[in-house]
Amino acid sequence: MASSRLMSPTLRWTPIAVLALLESWVAWDLLAVPDRRWITALALPFVANLAFLLLSRGAHRRWARWCGLLALGTTYVVSHAFALGVQVLPALVFVSLLIAQVELRILAERFAPLFLTTITSAQQRQIGSALLRALIRLTIASFLAVVIPLLAADLATAGVVPVTTIPTAFLLSAGLVAVVLIIALLPSLESNPE
Amino acid sequence: MRTPLSSGLAAASMGFLLLGLALRSWQVLLLALSPMIVLALGSLAPPPKPHLVAVRSLSRDRTDAGRQVDVELLVRNEGSSLDLVEIADVLPREFEVIRGTNHAVVSLEAEGTLRLAYTIRSPVKGDFVLGPVRARSFDPLALGAQDVVLDLRSPLVVAPAMEDLRRAQLQPRRTRPWFGQVPSRRIGPGTEFWGIREYVAGDEVRRINWKASARLEQLFTNEYEGERSGDVVIVVDARRESSIGTEADNPVEHAVRAALGIADRVLAAKNRVGLIVHRQVIDWVPLAFGRKQLYRILDHLVHVKPGGEWRFSHVGLVLSRFFPRGCLIVLITPLLDREALTAVVGLTARGYDIAIVSPSALAIERRMRADSEEDRMAYRILAMERANRVAQLRRVAQVVDWDPATPLALALRRMTAWPRRA
Repeated sequence: MASSRLMSPTLRWTPIAVLALLESWVAWDLLAVPDRRWITALALPFVANLAFLLLSRGAHRRWARWCGLLALGTTYVVSHAFALGVQVLPALVFVSLLIAQVELRILAERFAPLFLTTITSAQQRQIGSALLRALIRLTIASFLAVVIPLLAADLATAGVVPVTTIPTAFLLSAGLVAVVLIIALLPSLESNPE
Repeated sequence: MRTPLSSGLAAASMGFLLLGLALRSWQVLLLALSPMIVLALGSLAPPPKPHLVAVRSLSRDRTDAGRQVDVELLVRNEGSSLDLVEIADVLPREFEVIRGTNHAVVSLEAEGTLRLAYTIRSPVKGDFVLGPVRARSFDPLALGAQDVVLDLRSPLVVAPAMEDLRRAQLQPRRTRPWFGQVPSRRIGPGTEFWGIREYVAGDEVRRINWKASARLEQLFTNEYEGERSGDVVIVVDARRESSIGTEADNPVEHAVRAALGIADRVLAAKNRVGLIVHRQVIDWVPLAFGRKQLYRILDHLVHVKPGGEWRFSHVGLVLSRFFPRGCLIVLITPLLDREALTAVVGLTARGYDIAIVSPSALAIERRMRADSEEDRMAYRILAMERANRVAQLRRVAQVVDWDPATPLALALRRMTAWPRRA
């Protein structure tokens, strides 16, 4: 029972901790930008991200949360693409962490209230095992999201896969368009069950 | 169905791709792969449509407001294995879950079962239906979902809580020819001594007053005050304007509670009780005796919801057509309009005894509002208006000004007689 009481706050605080880590990461990178004009320009989306995230916590607005994360990602990508230069491994880790943060928040919203109620040990076991499975899948997905692009980059730089040919470009574009089309055509999920 | 996260990942991937192409940077282009991989992993195992069977059992299907009911929901997966499934037993919003949970997120193997046991309680009365059961199956990364609704419904009747009015003096002044417990001011079978008269052949021996007979050297028989029963009609004012406050704390809910308590008390004293409910429609229960009548009244009261814009005088029409004169009318109304005064005067003129139980909407409203200087001033003005209205009504009827936060029995005990003798 005690572990169940601890589970809910742990679940609630984990996505916030990951978000705090990402925020400090971007803030640290901003401080490392040598050009003051870039710092000023990049401070705008960063402050907007903070404002949106605070709004989302205060007013429970989903769109504000999405805008905040978008502003955070934009600050990171623009600062590295235009001012600091993109280092592949940290950038991939950052993107994976950002995705993991969203997934963790979804899991926390779904599971944290369940551990607040007085549930039997059998229910606790069932819910706990479902949570564990979800976390394992998320860890594997995050790991692959870092490793596979690194592997692809390695293969490309080693010349194993020809990346600069026109068929490769067509194949990549067609694949991406197909994925986007499939996702756009699927009906959208609006709300959680009551 | 896709979740917003899958759209977000696709958009992020597209954004990185376009930015990478625009900047001619393979590193940025490479970042497009991360969201793509998560999307691909999610779509490797799309969520199957759940094939579930559910059975719900309740510890009781009739209960009182505030009393707990145990619910057990058994869900069995008759389809393929579900990686992550969210199951919620939908409850009417009036109910609160006291113990356990009506909602779970679990993994369900094929033929696997989930047992949700929980305890619920409703602070308000009503005729409710529990269900349906909603289930949503997710893929491991929550990128897609499949919904299913199991049409499993269980009716649950929540009766209003019963006020304990055993000590309250509730009895009609005018009696009918049937035996009961109300002193009738006529000689008859009863327990209260009335007087003595000369013995007549056929008088019961146990009624002979031996002391008086010995003193006067002639047989005398005791006479008693006959105890009979009377008629009481309870009128519940459930018009829309009477509904002030929250769902559980409003004059209509309290009026229903009071009506049930009074009906129980009056019926227990072997009187006839009838009911008129003044709501969206004016409906009534004719006068009758006994336990069955209490259940009839209870069935009517369970369905009372505030509504309707009827004028108060319409109650007089129903009373004059369907109820005998000389009965005691117990009017349960928050007295929010002056029209009640006119209606009560009219009813008294027609020969009805009137007693008014008024759950104070003002007291309810005061508890809900902040205690600012303006509120205090407004309260004082409204309280004076109400006191004035009650004082005017007390000339023609017995009035109980009742703050619903206190027990009704306490308010009724302050009355000297019920109703005041004309």
